[in-house]
Amino acid sequence: MGIRRFGAVTAVAALVVLPVPTPAQAQQAVTLRVAITQQVDSLNPFLSVFQAGTEVGRLMYDYLTAYDVKDQHPVEGLADRWESSPDRLTWTFHVPEGKKWSDGQPITAKDAAFTYDLMMRDEVAATANGSFTAEFESVTATDDRTLVIKTKQPQATMLALDVPIVPAHVWSKVTDIAEYRNDRTPVVGSGPFVLTEYRANEFIRFKANKDYWRGAPKYDELTFTYYKTADAAVQALTKGEVDLVNRMGPAQFDSLKDSEGITRNQAQGRRFNEIVINSGAATRTGEPIGDGHPALKDVVVRRAIAKALDLDAIIAKVNGGYAQRGTGPIPPVFADYHFKPESPYPYDPAAANADLDRAGYARGADGIRVSPEGRRMQLRLLGHASRAYDEQTAEFVKRSLAELGIVVDVQIVSDNQLNEAGTAGTFDLQFSGWGTNPDPDFILSLHTCGQRPNADGKGGTTDTFFCDPEYDALYAQQRAEFDPAKRRELVRRMQQRFYDQVPAVVLGYDNALEAYRSDKFASFPVQPDPGGVIMAQNGVWGYYGATPVASAGQDGGSNTGLVLGVVAGALVVLVGGVWLVGRRRGLRAEDRE
Amino acid sequence: MTAIAWQRRRAAAGATWREFASQRGGLVGLVGLAVITLLALLAPWVTDASGLDVTRVTARPWEPPSSTYWLGTDHNGRSVLLLTWWGTRISLVVGLAATVLSVLIGTVVGIAAAHFGGWVSAVLMRFTDFFLVLPSLVLAIALSTVLPRGLGTIVLAIGVTAWPATARLVRAQTLAVEARPFIERARALGGGHGHVIGRHVLPAVLPLVFVNTTLTVASAIVAESTLSFLGLGDPTRVSWGSLLHAANMHGAVSQRAWWFLVPPGLGVVCVVLAFTLCGRALETVLNPRLKGER
Repeated sequence: MGIRRFGAVTAVAALVVLPVPTPAQAQQAVTLRVAITQQVDSLNPFLSVFQAGTEVGRLMYDYLTAYDVKDQHPVEGLADRWESSPDRLTWTFHVPEGKKWSDGQPITAKDAAFTYDLMMRDEVAATANGSFTAEFESVTATDDRTLVIKTKQPQATMLALDVPIVPAHVWSKVTDIAEYRNDRTPVVGSGPFVLTEYRANEFIRFKANKDYWRGAPKYDELTFTYYKTADAAVQALTKGEVDLVNRMGPAQFDSLKDSEGITRNQAQGRRFNEIVINSGAATRTGEPIGDGHPALKDVVVRRAIAKALDLDAIIAKVNGGYAQRGTGPIPPVFADYHFKPESPYPYDPAAANADLDRAGYARGADGIRVSPEGRRMQLRLLGHASRAYDEQTAEFVKRSLAELGIVVDVQIVSDNQLNEAGTAGTFDLQFSGWGTNPDPDFILSLHTCGQRPNADGKGGTTDTFFCDPEYDALYAQQRAEFDPAKRRELVRRMQQRFYDQVPAVVLGYDNALEAYRSDKFASFPVQPDPGGVIMAQNGVWGYYGATPVASAGQDGGSNTGLVLGVVAGALVVLVGGVWLVGRRRGLRAEDRE
Repeated sequence: MTAIAWQRRRAAAGATWREFASQRGGLVGLVGLAVITLLALLAPWVTDASGLDVTRVTARPWEPPSSTYWLGTDHNGRSVLLLTWWGTRISLVVGLAATVLSVLIGTVVGIAAAHFGGWVSAVLMRFTDFFLVLPSLVLAIALSTVLPRGLGTIVLAIGVTAWPATARLVRAQTLAVEARPFIERARALGGGHGHVIGRHVLPAVLPLVFVNTTLTVASAIVAESTLSFLGLGDPTRVSWGSLLHAANMHGAVSQRAWWFLVPPGLGVVCVVLAFTLCGRALETVLNPRLKGER
């Protein structure tokens, strides 16, 4: 069966790859072929929430501002300069002359105004990125070059509006956003690539936008080919059917170690993996919901679980060493906010056992502990069927907690079932994981009381049902704090509180594992530089700045990042103290996975 | 009376055994089955179960076969030989349990449909037809997705999808048996439904059911492996299907770790072959029409 599936995938790959013009032409077209394993949910940038979908959106449409390839500070997007009023309520963006849509029409401030206005008017258009415009008071283009945005209250994400700006002359004719698939090629866009062909779950083809204002990409075509498994994608890479692969597992990454013509990129990831402990699921009003094990409300039990898990062994075995040990919800790639506890939980099953003994969790005749209320310590652990990580780590958790006299019943379920159980509180332990952004606000907000769902189980994105007055107070403080050092300290104290209370055990921060054909492409810009990713960036520098081997010589090698950095340098001054690069949008279901 | 009956039965069993033993294929299958069952039963005593514990592993992941690890190690550094050995247990248990369930449903439905006739038969047979035309793998996948994952679910999923063929078979045999005069005689003498079914129909149908069971086990084991391979089984229990699933999921193909893929596959082949050989031989013994054709 595996073979048949693999065969089908290769067949698809062959279909896709073969028509790409390879025969001798005077000027041979250079194509960057990328393997993706995640589906593109929609080409309509107002609806797309999957990572692969937003990435495609970024290739087609520029945002008002972009993130620097080196350190992710805001740089020129469609707007080249901006300023805010002293009360931070009015923002003025300048859209320079000379930028063009791919159909030749000029890009003006009116396009941006149209896009934001559409999201404010039309609920459907606010599906994907509505959080950015939710607090907008008004958006006006005073002339073709000037965009003025007024907000109801100061908004930290004004230079990180992750909203693809669409051409007003095309989209003003769209009557029903929900039904508009945006697949009439060539799709008019402003990004470095123009969509020319799309077949759902098969492939996506782009042509380089030779008139792109930053300069044309160094190659002609970009294709994304869909593969069902990372294994199949890696096979395609070794056979030379694709040039770039990401989301590899440790085994696949290791297998490419000595491959000729393939270069690997081990990047610091933005994700963390955790085990959520149901410490008392409740609604926003404090009404208990779900059927979590009551003993987990006891912080002694939660700490014992944290002590019983051998995080280093999990990283060594499950991540193949390609991860960093977990502490708080902010990964080390965001060094300013990453939390390093002064006294981390040691891996010490004996101490954990002693703690439980002392707290009155006596072992029964079968060696399984019983809580003081008389409930047997038997916990359900829910994991995602789609993730190899959950399945493998579940083994470790099961065995480790068995040492404590706690029975773990592993249930690997579909993502939907898991999310349902998560919001209904019908779990004891659950695998979870989030991608994070440069600004910590969103990821920290997930653990505030206000994020718990309402009585219908809707309206909140709590991660853990954690509700702690001390944490909430700190959260409110950091939000209003504009001094970076003081905010760092507040964020650190929040994570310390989180760490002490153990509503979840952060297991580790995955590295992003990527590989590319270095016999065809000499270099790719990574973000952040060094140590960053090629795909799934805060931007599309990786695709845009890819340098084919043939042109590598003329170009002076891999200086793309450097040149862009210098350009961006001028803007750094402009940006000044406003360094909050927050992306409140944060995380959607797909990031959670 | 009973003594005579027993004597007669013993003689019949002896004759059956002699006929069975005269078929080499059947014997080979039987011996293979005995060996595999014995290995599965003895696993806790002969091997060290702590080798399955991922937290106590000392070997490196993906080690190729060596003198310490005859079949190499998996993605956690556990011995593939040990995993395959222990996998036999779950695969056999699930295969047998699912078969018992499906044969039970099939026999009850088949006999009831044939014996009672009329609208009971019509309803039961339409019901059977419904399950017969449903693609059973799809149904099993749907069932094991909806129900909480675990061994019981897999057994149930296979059991409720595999019975229609048995039901049809049993119904046909029951109809044939009930058409014979001795059934009519029993009825005329006042034998009720219970008596006719219990004393006459069931004994006459059982040999067929038995053969059918043996053959169903083979397909149930394959079904278990399929479902586990698709990730629908209990991932913390080692079965052949879940081994293949793990190999697929954790990149055995990229690692070229053939030693992780081949042993569970061979395990499935051996057990299925053994059951099929036994089943065919039994069929030949019990169905006179097949005699001399082998």
